[in-house]
Amino acid sequence: MNGGKAIVGRTSTRTAVLNLYLGAAVLRLALFTLFRGLPDLLTGRVEISTPVTSFKRLQEGLFLYNHNVSPYDGGVYHQAPLFLPLFSLLPDFSTLPVFTYLLYIAIDLLSANALLKIADAGEAGSSALFTSLRRDKRWSGLVVAAVFLFNPFTIATCIGRSTSVFTTCAILHAVAKAIAGAPFSAMVALSFAAYLSMYPLLLLPPLVLLSFDRQLPARATKSLAQFATSHVAIVGGVLAALFGMSYLITGSWEFLPSTYGVQLTLSDLAPNVGLWWYFFVEMFDSFRSFFLAVFWMHLSCYVGALTLRIRRQPLVVITLLMGIFNIFKPYPSISDSSLFLAMIPLYRHVFPLMRYTFLVAAIIMYTTFLGPAFYHLWIYAGSGNANFFYAITLVWGLGLSLLVCDLTFAVLRDEWEVERPEMVGKDIRQI
Amino acid sequence: MPSLISRGASRIRRDPRILKLPPYLSLLCILVGVVWLFLLPKNEYSRRTYISENALLPGQVHTYFGGSDQNVFRAYKHEVNALVHQSNIEINDKLESILKGLGLKVGRQNFTYHSAGHVYSGENTYAILQAPRGDATEAIVLVAAWKNAKGELNRNGVALLLTLARYFKRWSLWSKDIIFLLTPDSIAGPQAWVDAYHDAHDSSRVDSLPLKSGALQGAVAIDYVREDRFESVHIVYDGINGQLPNLDLINSVVNIAGGQMGMGTGLQEMWRHDDKYPDRLRTMLRGMLKQGLGLASGPHSSFIPYHVDAVTLQPFGNGWQDEMAMGRVIEGTFRSLNNLLEHLHQSFFFYLLMHPHRFVSIGTYLPSAMLVAANFTIMAIALWLKSGQPGLTSTSGKAENKKSDDEKSDSKTSSQTVERDLFLPLGFVTGCQFLSVVPLYLFNNAPDGMLTLAFITFAALNTILPHLSSHLLTKYYTPTIQQYQLIKSFSLLLLGMFLSSLATLNFSLALLVGLLACPLTFMQPWPRSPVMRGICMLLLDAVAPTSVLVAGAVYWDVSLGTVLREAAFAWDVSGMYSPVVVWCVWWPAWLAGSVTVLGKPPPTPSSGPKRKGEKKAEGVEGKPVSK
Repeated sequence: MNGGKAIVGRTSTRTAVLNLYLGAAVLRLALFTLFRGLPDLLTGRVEISTPVTSFKRLQEGLFLYNHNVSPYDGGVYHQAPLFLPLFSLLPDFSTLPVFTYLLYIAIDLLSANALLKIADAGEAGSSALFTSLRRDKRWSGLVVAAVFLFNPFTIATCIGRSTSVFTTCAILHAVAKAIAGAPFSAMVALSFAAYLSMYPLLLLPPLVLLSFDRQLPARATKSLAQFATSHVAIVGGVLAALFGMSYLITGSWEFLPSTYGVQLTLSDLAPNVGLWWYFFVEMFDSFRSFFLAVFWMHLSCYVGALTLRIRRQPLVVITLLMGIFNIFKPYPSISDSSLFLAMIPLYRHVFPLMRYTFLVAAIIMYTTFLGPAFYHLWIYAGSGNANFFYAITLVWGLGLSLLVCDLTFAVLRDEWEVERPEMVGKDIRQI
Repeated sequence: MPSLISRGASRIRRDPRILKLPPYLSLLCILVGVVWLFLLPKNEYSRRTYISENALLPGQVHTYFGGSDQNVFRAYKHEVNALVHQSNIEINDKLESILKGLGLKVGRQNFTYHSAGHVYSGENTYAILQAPRGDATEAIVLVAAWKNAKGELNRNGVALLLTLARYFKRWSLWSKDIIFLLTPDSIAGPQAWVDAYHDAHDSSRVDSLPLKSGALQGAVAIDYVREDRFESVHIVYDGINGQLPNLDLINSVVNIAGGQMGMGTGLQEMWRHDDKYPDRLRTMLRGMLKQGLGLASGPHSSFIPYHVDAVTLQPFGNGWQDEMAMGRVIEGTFRSLNNLLEHLHQSFFFYLLMHPHRFVSIGTYLPSAMLVAANFTIMAIALWLKSGQPGLTSTSGKAENKKSDDEKSDSKTSSQTVERDLFLPLGFVTGCQFLSVVPLYLFNNAPDGMLTLAFITFAALNTILPHLSSHLLTKYYTPTIQQYQLIKSFSLLLLGMFLSSLATLNFSLALLVGLLACPLTFMQPWPRSPVMRGICMLLLDAVAPTSVLVAGAVYWDVSLGTVLREAAFAWDVSGMYSPVVVWCVWWPAWLAGSVTVLGKPPPTPSSGPKRKGEKKAEGVEGKPVSK
C-alpha cells in the first residue's frame, strides 16, 4: 500500500501484471473449488445478491429459457435477456460448474485490466483541462488493480456469482476506452453496461466529456455539442440494437417491464444493503409513486451538478457518481461498493487532503461485520427484527457517503490550490 | 458565533492534552464496564420477571396427572430397568413397541458423527401424538435422553416420558401435536433429530426423519436420574453459542412449579439461593460463563438455534416431591404451551437471570460489553491520530521542538499530517489474522490422542512466536515507532470491531474475551527498558489464550484433553463457534500486541528521553485542515 514501494516504474511491467492476474485467478478458483459450500452461501447473502443480480434467479430464468418458457414468467428473473444465451452456451452448471467459475474469474480479470489502463494513463492526476500539483504521488496500475482484485468485496461478489460483475466490467472498459481516445468503443461499452443494469446510463454525460477531452488529436471534433450529439446517438443506436436482439431472443417486449420496470418501480422489496427497501416496505401505497419519483430524481440530480462543477476532471465525476449510485440506487450490493472502492486508489494524490479516511475505513469494516450479525439475529435467531439490519445499512450508507464527501472535498481543495497557490497548506475555516 | 465555536473547537483539538487522554478514557471504559456488571444484581438495576405472553396462562389449569398413573409409572420403570444393559437397538425395539401400543406413530432415526477421531453414533426413537383438535401445523416436543449430559442413566426420565405419553394420549384438549423423543445421549442424538426435522442435516451422516409434524413451538427435556424424593426443579436453559430460550418459557415453568406445585426452582446449579446480592451475582456469573463457552448443556440446547424455545428440567434437593409432581409440572407446562396462539415472541431473548424471579434485559447489560469493546476502538483511533503526528518520523528532535514552538505562535500555518507508512502494519495484521487459521484447523481436526500433545506443542510455539516474529521484523524491516503504533491501532480496531459485533450475538463471550484482552490496550514498545518489556511480556503470556485455557482446565479440575475433545465435539456436532472467536479474534490481537511490546523501534524523537519533545510537538494539529 505504500506509495514509495509500489511504484517500481510508472507503468507496470508485464510479468508483474501476469503474476498478479494469476494470483487472483488461483485464489478465486481455490475458493470456488476447495470450499464447496462457499459459492452457494455467498449467492444467498442479501449483501451480494439483489433481485436484479442474483445468480440463483439467473439459473431459474435459464431453466425456463431452456424449456421454451418465457424466462420472465413467475416473476423471479429480472435480469437482461442476453445473459440467457450466454449462460446456456456454457456447459450445464450442475454438472460442470467450472466453466461458470472461469467465466466469472475472466470477467474480474478483464475489469482489473481496464482499471490498470485507467490508472496507468494518469487521468486522475492530470486531465486535459487540469493538472494537479500532487500528481507525482500516485500508485501504478499494478497496485490499483491489485487493490481491486484482492478487495474482499470483489472476491465475495465473484464467488457469489452476482451478475453485476458484468456491469462493473463494462463500466470500467467504457472509462478505459474513453481515456485511451476511443470514444466509439467507450460508448458501446457504456451501452452494454446500461443495457445490463440501466443505472450506468446516468454516467453518460461525464463519460462523453471524458471522451471529448481525451480525443486523439488526429481525429478530434472541435465542437462539444456536435461530439455529444453524435455519441449520444451511438449509445442510442447500440441500445436499440441490444433491445432488438433481446426481443428476438425472448419473442416479446415483456423483458422491458421485468428488468427495467422492476428497478424503476421497486416491485421486489427483498432486503439489501441499500436505503430503498425498508422505506418502501413501510410506505402507504398512495404515496408510493410520488416517492419513487423523488428517489429517482434524487439519484439522478447529482449527474448534472457534478458534471458542471467538476468539469475539468470528468473521471472524478464518474468516480463520485459511482459512489453515489452505490448508496442511493434501488438495488445496491457490495459489488457496487467494490467498483467504487476500486476507483479510490486512483486518487492517491489527494489522500493527504482527505480527512476521514480512518473513520470511513472503520465504519465500513464495522458495518461489514455487524450487518451479517444483525441479519442473522433478524432472520435466523428470530431475536432481532428488520430494524436491526436496516439500522446497519443506514450506517453503511453513512460511511460511504462520508467517503464520497471526503473525496469531493479533497478533489475540490486540490483544484483550489492550483487556482490559489498562496493558500497551499493553509487551513480553511467556515465563516 | 459559529466562527467563535469553530475557533474554540479547533483550539481544543489542538490542545496537546487531548491526545494524552485516550489511555485514561480506555481504562475508564473498562472500569465502568466491569463496575456496571457488578451493579446488575442490585434491586435497582434488575427487574422482577413477569409473563409477557398472556396466552400462556401458566398454572391456571388443574393438572390431573397422578393417582393411578403412579402405577403406570412403576410398570414402565420396570420395563426400563429391564433394558438397562441392552444395546441401543434393543432398547429402541422395546420402546417402539410400548409407544406403538399406546396408539402413537413411531419413527426411528440413525445418526453417526465423527469428531476428534471418535465416532458418536446411535438411533433416536420418537413418537408423534396427533392433536385431536389441531391440524398438525404445530408441535411441542418432550425429550428424554437415555443418558443425561453427565452420562448417568436417565431411568425415571424415560419412564416418566412413557407415562406422560400414555396420559396425554387420553386427553382430547391438545391443539398442537406432541412429539415424544427418546435419544441415546443428550447432545448428539437431539442434535441429529432437530437437524433432520428442519432438513438441515448432512444426509450421509444423519438419516432423514420418516415422520414429521408441524413447526416446533417449544421443547421440554426431562433429566430425572435420582431415585429419592426431591425438593425443587433445576431449570437448565443455556443453548448452543449462548443463545437463550424466550424468557416466557422459563417464567412459565417457574410459575407452574412454584405457584401451583409449591416446589422451588433453581438455576445454574445454585442449590441454595437466598436472593441476596452474592448469590444473585454468582448465579449471573455462572450463567455468563456457560453462555460464553457456548457448549450444549442438555438435550434442550440443540433446539434453541432453530428458534425452538427449550429447557431441561432436573429435580434437586431433598424434599417430599415425587415423580408425579414432576409429571404435573411438565403437564402444566405443556398445557401452557398448548395455549400459545403464535410462537413465543413477546418476552426477552437476551437476558441474564440471577434468580428464578429476577433478571436484567439486554438494554441494561449490553453497555458493559460495549464499553469494554469500545476501549479498544478508542485506543485504535487515538493511535491512528498519534501516528499521524509530525515529529514522530523526523530525525531531529530539537529542530522539531523549535518548529512546533513556532507553530504554536502562529497556528494558522498548521502542518500536514505525516504520511503514514501503511504497508507493513497492514500486512502484518493481515498475516496474523490468516495465521490464526492454523490453530483453528489444528484443534478441530486433530484426533483425540494427539490433541493434548498438539496443544502443548502449540502453547510452547506460542510463547516463542512473538519473540521470533519480532526478531524477524526488526531484522528485515526495522519498523519505526509509527509502524508499531499502526500495528497496534489496526489490531485493536479489528478486535473492537469483532467484539462489538459478537456482543450482539453472544454477550458473555464478547465480555469474557474483551476483559481478557484488555491488557493489550496498554501495551507499547519499550526500546530502552528491558525490564518493562519483560514484565509486559510476562503479563501478556499470562493472559494468552493458551494460558487461559490451561488455567481454566486446572481451576475446574478437568484434563486438558477433555476440554479440547469437548470443544472439537461441540464444533463438529453442535456448530459452536467459540473456537473461531478464540483463535481468529483473540489470538491474532494477542500476537500483534506481543510483537508491539517486544518491538525495538530505532531511536527517534518519540522514544525514550525524546518523549517530552514529542509531547510538545503535539501542539501541532494532527489533521491538515479543519472545517
